[in-house]
Amino acid sequence: MDSLKQGEVYGSESGGRYEVVSKLGAGGQGEVYEVSDNGARYALKWYFKRSATPRQKDIIENLIRIGAPDSTFLWPQDVIVDTDGDTFGYVMPLRPPHFRGIADLMKRRAEPTFRALCRAAFSLTRGYEKLHEAGLAYGDISFGNLFLDPDNGDVLICDNDNAASADVAPTVYGTPRFMAPEIVTGVAKPSRNTDLFSLSVLLFNMLMLHHPLEGELEKNIKCLDVPAMNRLYGTNPVFIYDPDNAANRPVAGEHDNAIVYWGVYPPRIRELFTRAFTAGLDCPAKRVTETEWKNALANLMFSIVVCDCGAELFCGDNPPTCWSCGRVLAVPVSLVSGRSRVLLQSGAVITSHHANGDYDIDTVVGTVVQNPANPALWGIRNDSRTDWTYIKPDGTQLSVPPGKSAGIAKGFQVDFGELVSKFI
Amino acid sequence: MAELKRPGGELSNRPLHFIWVVDCSGSMLGEKIGTVNHAIQNTIPEMLDAANNNPYAKLLVRTLKFSTGAKWVTDKPTDIDDFSWSDLDAEGVTDLGAALELLSGELTIPPMSDRALPPVIVLLSDGMPTDDYKSALAKLLSLPWGKKAVKIAIAIGRDADTDVLREFTCDKQLVLEAKNREMLVKMIKWASTAASVVSAPVLNAENSAPDAESVPSITPVLGLSSEGDVW
Repeated sequence: MDSLKQGEVYGSESGGRYEVVSKLGAGGQGEVYEVSDNGARYALKWYFKRSATPRQKDIIENLIRIGAPDSTFLWPQDVIVDTDGDTFGYVMPLRPPHFRGIADLMKRRAEPTFRALCRAAFSLTRGYEKLHEAGLAYGDISFGNLFLDPDNGDVLICDNDNAASADVAPTVYGTPRFMAPEIVTGVAKPSRNTDLFSLSVLLFNMLMLHHPLEGELEKNIKCLDVPAMNRLYGTNPVFIYDPDNAANRPVAGEHDNAIVYWGVYPPRIRELFTRAFTAGLDCPAKRVTETEWKNALANLMFSIVVCDCGAELFCGDNPPTCWSCGRVLAVPVSLVSGRSRVLLQSGAVITSHHANGDYDIDTVVGTVVQNPANPALWGIRNDSRTDWTYIKPDGTQLSVPPGKSAGIAKGFQVDFGELVSKFI
Repeated sequence: MAELKRPGGELSNRPLHFIWVVDCSGSMLGEKIGTVNHAIQNTIPEMLDAANNNPYAKLLVRTLKFSTGAKWVTDKPTDIDDFSWSDLDAEGVTDLGAALELLSGELTIPPMSDRALPPVIVLLSDGMPTDDYKSALAKLLSLPWGKKAVKIAIAIGRDADTDVLREFTCDKQLVLEAKNREMLVKMIKWASTAASVVSAPVLNAENSAPDAESVPSITPVLGLSSEGDVW
């Protein structure tokens, strides 16, 4: 039975008037409707009476006061109280239909490229980081409350009504397989640190299409019920690639994705996952931070080379071997500054992040181009609005104004203003 | 050049067996069986939707009916994608024991796989057993998969033997008493959501008490039914 009827109009606390258009779905805490305010469409989450607690309302009103951490969040923006005062709901932006659930990614019904996948992973990490910067913890990072556009890796984070600061009693403890071990065992509540664990689980799942703690120990369990999950993810978690404990290695035939993907990713990604699921299992302070993930994921995204067979490969310092056809590819020249690195191949772009170290991986400031007078020569064209300085190995400096290009040559450097990068 | 798909397959999953066990004795004739047929058929699109959003489980559904004797309506565990409801008729007595015997046969390894999510068995009955169900129930509950299965019973009307149903579910909270048609529909819908809850139980901080007016919040109820061992 739907709580709200099509065509009913509800006034909000901020004076908005929302007409119920249709029901979009239902969950454990309430139902979600599409609503219209003067033709503008929004989503309305309407709580069941048992979930419509004064505490929940306080949380929502606080979230509205704080405002969305960034544009990836479908953030509460208005509150509607039922006419009899028994329940309430909150208004948030509507999710566009081309966004797909993470279940589609896991079931291979949504197939992003590696590039789009890296961008999605980066954007999610940045989103949760902004949330944490605002003093909040998300509390339930998992498949069910995320969406991605498989074409470009845009992401959306919903169900933000559980996000709260540490002084507020949690409304949700999380989702099995994603909760930090200390929550599963009942010794901790959701916090920024437990979010970091869940984020690592989410990233591992997205990149490897597998769970980091499901190896032989999982295979040996016949009935995967609550006690079994408590053991695997709570009291006795073992990383499938723990270098010091081989008890839970992935089993061929059961955990093939873990075996296929582990070698596809470069050492830095494997190192971070190893720390997240060994030292980070029971020592929250050793968990991988958002900044570490952002650096690694940005470098991952800009390290992709495409093999002649069409496969995307991640290229580190050594010539990569194609996971699909076995061919060994040459390593292109890369532009390196501080922690960031971008491979310079035909059509590659340099973003604000590479020039300014600001984690903006979408704003293009340069493009790899061929010299029109001599197509054998390649350069990076300045697509920004400021002059760059090209520094030769002998120290000679040349100005590179917008529209002009700097030749790609090992040992040469480009001073972008914020950062100085070197061709390696 | 077209980019090649990323390697590997989908996330590995486990089978989740969901079994409707329906009392088709003569007393179910008329409105009761009509409501059951209609209500279960209506759960299928929602179960399919939930399964599509659940990467952890491969949901396999089948139906077992019992009256004078018992019979599988669906021959084999059937992917929810391919499952369609066949209307059941009502005639005969209430041979619950015969149904439990058939269940035991299917919850033995093999034919049951050795790795799965907990099976969900939903038993609907409006009367009391006419055969010797005791030994059949003891056998079912002695099987590891019988023990681990989440067993839900819906008592239809006022003549259902709730004591027997309680023996089956091993948990008072999982015997739902459908005193009228509206409650029956609601409880069938509730039971159908057990599949997604079993494979990915959500832990709410507040275990809200079952609401007598409607149906209990399913998660805490199912959480209580799990035993402490790992098998």
